[in-house]
Amino acid sequence: MKLDVVHDVQSSYRKLIESMSRPGLVSNIGEQAARVDIETGFYPSTTILMFMLLDTEVTFHVMSKRANEITKLINQLTYAKAAEADNADYLFVLGDADPRQLEKVLRIAKVGDLKNPHESATVIIETSSVTNGNEFVLTGPGIAMETTARVNMTGEWLEILAEKNVEYPLGIDLILTDENHELLCLPRTSQILKRVAG
Amino acid sequence: MQIDYNYAFFDEGSKREIRRATLKAIAIPGYQVPFASREMPIGRGWGTGGLQLTLSLVGKDDVVKVIDQGSDESVNAVNIKKLIEKTTGISTTDETSEATIIQSRHRIPEVPLKDGQIMVLQVPLPEPLRFYEPSEFETKKLHAEKEYSGAWLMLFEQIMKYGNLATDADHPVMVDDRYVMAPSPIPRFDNSKMNYSEALILLGAGREKKIYAVPPYTKVVSLAFDDYPFEVESFEDNHCKQCGAAGVFMDEIYDDETETTYFQCNDTSYCVARLNHQTV
Repeated sequence: MKLDVVHDVQSSYRKLIESMSRPGLVSNIGEQAARVDIETGFYPSTTILMFMLLDTEVTFHVMSKRANEITKLINQLTYAKAAEADNADYLFVLGDADPRQLEKVLRIAKVGDLKNPHESATVIIETSSVTNGNEFVLTGPGIAMETTARVNMTGEWLEILAEKNVEYPLGIDLILTDENHELLCLPRTSQILKRVAG
Repeated sequence: MQIDYNYAFFDEGSKREIRRATLKAIAIPGYQVPFASREMPIGRGWGTGGLQLTLSLVGKDDVVKVIDQGSDESVNAVNIKKLIEKTTGISTTDETSEATIIQSRHRIPEVPLKDGQIMVLQVPLPEPLRFYEPSEFETKKLHAEKEYSGAWLMLFEQIMKYGNLATDADHPVMVDDRYVMAPSPIPRFDNSKMNYSEALILLGAGREKKIYAVPPYTKVVSLAFDDYPFEVESFEDNHCKQCGAAGVFMDEIYDDETETTYFQCNDTSYCVARLNHQTV
């Protein structure tokens, strides 16, 4: 069966809305992802996000070992235009990207300005696993008291993200997805603390 | 003539535009995100912002409730429901607890909202500083600088004129300690329902082309002064004439024949549900 670009994208959007409004909530779009039958070289969940968010009105940038090839493919599938990383509306950091590339993207992604904080980038990151594990403690709007999250990402991304989002309402919003089609969102309002053993 | 619309009336490009703005609005609580508002088959100012949000959200498994000033059966609510039903084939309900999406003009239902529901509010004037500053260019700057003296000044003028905070509806709120926001023309009675709400609240202004949001569990404080605290409408010891309810938002109705006034629940589905559970 083929991905239904109306209904599957709609139901995935509702899962994304759930996760975006409740940071730390892991939503699964496996049912929809199972119907993705085009070979893109990235996760089916990323393909759905691509169909959900991209069209001629917005720009994107891809971080991957096969960036050129995938940029061309996304452009053909959605008609969205490619842009430099510091100017793109949507940044895709694919699973085969180097941790340093993720750090670079987080450093240079646009944060909007005080009058137009919505003119900021959304970063979609592929990792091997996204769970509710006890690695980070999240607080902020959308979270009743506090919640936990665990993502399989290395490097200094967390410190860079904290620095990036320091001047609220300026900042970037992250959507993380994994091999099991899980979605987790870290909007700029979320305060993320690394759980220290002890 | 048979016209076959796309599912939920909109083409997919329009839905993407609204969805992108909605996601940004959730990420920046209280900030008005501009979006390319669509031409709708109802007049601007009749709920086009709310309707656009609802249509961008709705799917096969949803049950939609639409209310207009607390009533499920007013012309506006009925027509919006018909449009949603005809273009999606989903069912609608009057029962607040059964609905997954609740579109409303000027009320938040009496039955508490819960996790999994989305409250969509129709907004005529999204800019809380508009009466103080007519220029959009300037109000954007005021929000950018968190310069809200104008909002306080408007409240101060009410005290000078009337001796108390006299906003009848749309009393401004501070969201997440950052943005002053128009909660849409809900009565002051409903303002507290936004504070740490369990459900996501989305607000849409079609004519003014803005979408904004209050995520669940977000601090929403009604603006007030230390010596003039925020107060909600009081119905004192009055009870609903139909169901006997107290402590809910009520309409005061004048009876021509007996020349008396009486009170009645404003939220009709709440009132009917209570009546249905009462034994005669």
